[in-house]
Amino acid sequence: MTNEVTSDGQEPRRSFLGFSTFIMFSGLAAGYGTLAAFAGRFLFPNSVGRENWQFVATVEQLSLGSTLPFKTPSGAKIVVARQRDGNAADCFVALSSVCPHLGCAVHWEPQNERFFCPCHNGAFDATGQATAGPPAAAKQSLTKYPLRVENGLLFISLSSDSLA
Amino acid sequence: MRGLGDWLYERMPINVAQLRELTNEPVPNHLKRWWFALGGTPAYLFVVQIITGILLAFYYQPAPATAYESVEYITNQAAFGWYLRSLHKWAATLMIAAVILHQMRVYFTGAYRRPRELNWVIGMALLCCTLLTGFTGYSLVFEQLSYWGATVAANISDAVPGIGGFAKQMLLGGDTYNERTLSRFYILHAAVLPTTIVLLVAVHILFIRLHGVTEFEFEDEPQDKPKHFNFFPDHMLTELMIGLVLMIVLSALATLLPATMGPKADPLTTPEVIKPEWFFYVSFRWLKLFSLTFAVISTGFIVAAMFLWPWIDAALRKLTGQQEISVYIGIVATFLLIGLTVWEAVVAH
Repeated sequence: MTNEVTSDGQEPRRSFLGFSTFIMFSGLAAGYGTLAAFAGRFLFPNSVGRENWQFVATVEQLSLGSTLPFKTPSGAKIVVARQRDGNAADCFVALSSVCPHLGCAVHWEPQNERFFCPCHNGAFDATGQATAGPPAAAKQSLTKYPLRVENGLLFISLSSDSLA
Repeated sequence: MRGLGDWLYERMPINVAQLRELTNEPVPNHLKRWWFALGGTPAYLFVVQIITGILLAFYYQPAPATAYESVEYITNQAAFGWYLRSLHKWAATLMIAAVILHQMRVYFTGAYRRPRELNWVIGMALLCCTLLTGFTGYSLVFEQLSYWGATVAANISDAVPGIGGFAKQMLLGGDTYNERTLSRFYILHAAVLPTTIVLLVAVHILFIRLHGVTEFEFEDEPQDKPKHFNFFPDHMLTELMIGLVLMIVLSALATLLPATMGPKADPLTTPEVIKPEWFFYVSFRWLKLFSLTFAVISTGFIVAAMFLWPWIDAALRKLTGQQEISVYIGIVATFLLIGLTVWEAVVAH
């Protein structure tokens, strides 16, 4: 039976058509797949490294125990403080006002000497360590901004993408 | 007139009588009771949302610098803008309430059981899409509460194990709420989610037509009368009547309690009292009660259990021999749902 089919050319033609169909569908799948991949990549935001180093103060301006309220160009509040003597970047700390729990803005409550987050009642001490609420349960603390010291000048690294 | 009919039939050869015969599903008598017709209510409100949404889109500008001002323009300056925006807001509220009530009715009457399990899953997907549409729509106003609500929601998604970071990036279009976030919410709210809802509703109705409506009998029903009535025109008239009542209710709510505007979003200051829309009070309270990881994972389990409930219920019935076990679980869940919602509603923090 197979020989008969082969002899009149049916089998090779059928194989060829089957193979062509497979190639065509593979081509279609690859084409539409590529388009879907492009669409997915298009929707996923670019992780452009838009970090800017901004001048904060000279290292002499910050004595031990003192804090410096710093405002970013977009107005976000950051608390910069000296933790110990020295001129290295790790002698300083810059605390974000963004709650590490779910991203709300914390504010300083002078009467309670704490940063308070109104979203889920999170509280942080002056060093940024969580003391109450969900951040304390999760042992979170306020985010610290990267700092750099160059020629006695303190710089902070800020993202220019956020609205805050 | 007959000439026009012939002209139309020649170009569009559809036989109305055959079409009616094909689509005229016999409807069980219990659907004369309005709480069994709650599925048509969100469908009607969805049409209201599409129409009012298209009208609002003529003026709305989805960017942080313009969004709030454009909503303010719609509310205070555009002719009847306040009314259309209020209709949109109240129809959204009623639509979510109707979807929840419809789902509760299906749950407590066991209408999701074999062979209708897949339609329950589609209904759950519709509930999720409706809630997401409500969330994205609320975020578009760009007022303080909607901005911080969106920020909190994006960070909740960040805590989902595995895909959380990706989901947050896709939702916000970056690590944080930025210049491109509102346009994402807008396209989700006005195109992606409504299209998904339309497709899901089409499949939902197809399944109802394929399986027929679950039949219930009530004690006060006369035994000698027919147990079914026609979809056209009887049930259609019931639905139209519900639609008319809904329009009156919507119009009254829009006039008496029009949509207002809170302060414009300030990405630097979180308001002292922050609340999401009422339909997320449960999740918000849950987040206050437990750690973020536990709250997110437990919510994921609850949602997954709701999707798979027809099979879980079947397994529970087999294990316990209790045919009504889902009713008891449902009563506890309903009290929990109402309790957490009311708790969040009455306290500031």
